[in-house]
Amino acid sequence: MTTVRRVYLDHSATTPVDPRVVEAMLPYLTEKLGNPSSVHFFGQQARAGVDAARREVARLIGARQNEVVFLSGATEANNLAVRGLCESAEPHGRHLITSAIEHSSLRGVCAALEHRGWSITRLPVYEDGIVRVDDVRAALRSDTVMVSIMMANNEIGTLQPVAEIGALVREERARGHRHLWYHTDAVQAAGRMPIDVESIGCDLLSLSAHKMYGPKGIGALYARRGVRLTPQIVGGHQERERRAGTEAVPAIVAFGAAARLAVAEMNGRNQQARRLRDRFEAEVTAKIPDIILNGDREHRLSHISNISFRFIEGEGLLINLDMQGVAVSTGSACSSGTLEPSPVIRALGHDEEKARGAIRFSFGKDNCDEDVDYVIEVLARAVANLRHLSPLTREAQATI
Amino acid sequence: MAYSETFKDHIANPRRAGRLDDANAGAEQTNPVCGDRLQLSLRISEGRIEAARFLAYGCAPTLACGSVLAEMIEGMSCAEAASLTRKEILEALGGLPSRKQHAAALAIEVLRTALKDASSSLGPRASRPQ
Repeated sequence: MTTVRRVYLDHSATTPVDPRVVEAMLPYLTEKLGNPSSVHFFGQQARAGVDAARREVARLIGARQNEVVFLSGATEANNLAVRGLCESAEPHGRHLITSAIEHSSLRGVCAALEHRGWSITRLPVYEDGIVRVDDVRAALRSDTVMVSIMMANNEIGTLQPVAEIGALVREERARGHRHLWYHTDAVQAAGRMPIDVESIGCDLLSLSAHKMYGPKGIGALYARRGVRLTPQIVGGHQERERRAGTEAVPAIVAFGAAARLAVAEMNGRNQQARRLRDRFEAEVTAKIPDIILNGDREHRLSHISNISFRFIEGEGLLINLDMQGVAVSTGSACSSGTLEPSPVIRALGHDEEKARGAIRFSFGKDNCDEDVDYVIEVLARAVANLRHLSPLTREAQATI
Repeated sequence: MAYSETFKDHIANPRRAGRLDDANAGAEQTNPVCGDRLQLSLRISEGRIEAARFLAYGCAPTLACGSVLAEMIEGMSCAEAASLTRKEILEALGGLPSRKQHAAALAIEVLRTALKDASSSLGPRASRPQ
């Protein structure tokens, strides 16, 4: 039996847990067994682990430790941020401003609010995949209580002008619009670029451990001191009444370790990812015709490359690559005969065919040049094979 | 359910992809909702499908159904091909998740349209085995 080479290029979906993170969390699965709410030795030992992790996560984003709420992951963080804030702020207004390219968890919360009668403004992002601050300004209304714009997009990696939007929100508050809060989903950006909540000027910020070499099932919400949130999970005093339930101590400790390593190794990881990603894009561009590199080339995360391959559909390409051991992802989904082309690629102004042919390649700290060589080789072959099957290829050739 | 190994093999190594230069029957069907397209070209002689080729654009199941369909019908009599069902396509692929089974329906639809085309262009006798 031949062994297939495995190349993992889906680090925006999830990252492997760093062995040093595993090492940090293991004692909390065994001898350090306490419940942090218990007053005895074991409980206090667990409490110390949680506190130390909270300091590390706070340091990652320039926050105070009591502003960090641990919860199950980014989806819960986005739910608590938006739903929790909006439920508290409802007497002041029922309008929220967001973008057309938010993560599905944020889109889902906004849709649920809309169903309850809230007004949601979804700002466009144009061909470069970037929200315009002037559009945020123009969308503000006297009943706007929240602006929620992600820091970096999960499919194309484009960086949003979050600090400029924060300045606008401050300016607006200074003008008397007191009941206005600002949330940013920093799940893709955290650990990959420096983040300082003070410079951004946000009130709420979502984080997830498994995008930065931590385990799945643990995330955090930064909630600026004084921001009132209606808890979404109740029945306990944990997390300063903001999220009930016994803390997932081993996962929290692991998140702390992952955050510490991310701060220490951020520059090296970024340089490595950017070098591989840029080399990959240069070679794909040289070897495969009829492609579109999606999103702004400069203002984006260092590890993501999103490419539309004309005349073919992403899923077939994904399966082809998977059979050759290469793991990537596509933002489109065809289900029960209805197609949901990636809303992010559609928001760039591309038609359905280009959105359907989009594939995300996301690099990580353990990828190497040999991975890029291998992926280029199998990708060029897979694209050629699928184009050979496609009536669109022949139609395009016939019109030349 | 996950895709079967047979399914994946059809995606990685499609059978009978292309268009027959000497086709005497053919059809194209499009799923109006998701936009998937499947083209079939056939060379029929004395009521038997001598050769079948397909072209497809769309989600992976549409490509796999095109491939397995073309492979299955080559050598069949037109009558046998006309009685082929969606279930047989699905079985030949090792099954498909329920939300993806519309691809097999598209394959059967394009096959029946192509056979109708054969019947009208070649005449009912030519598409019947002698």
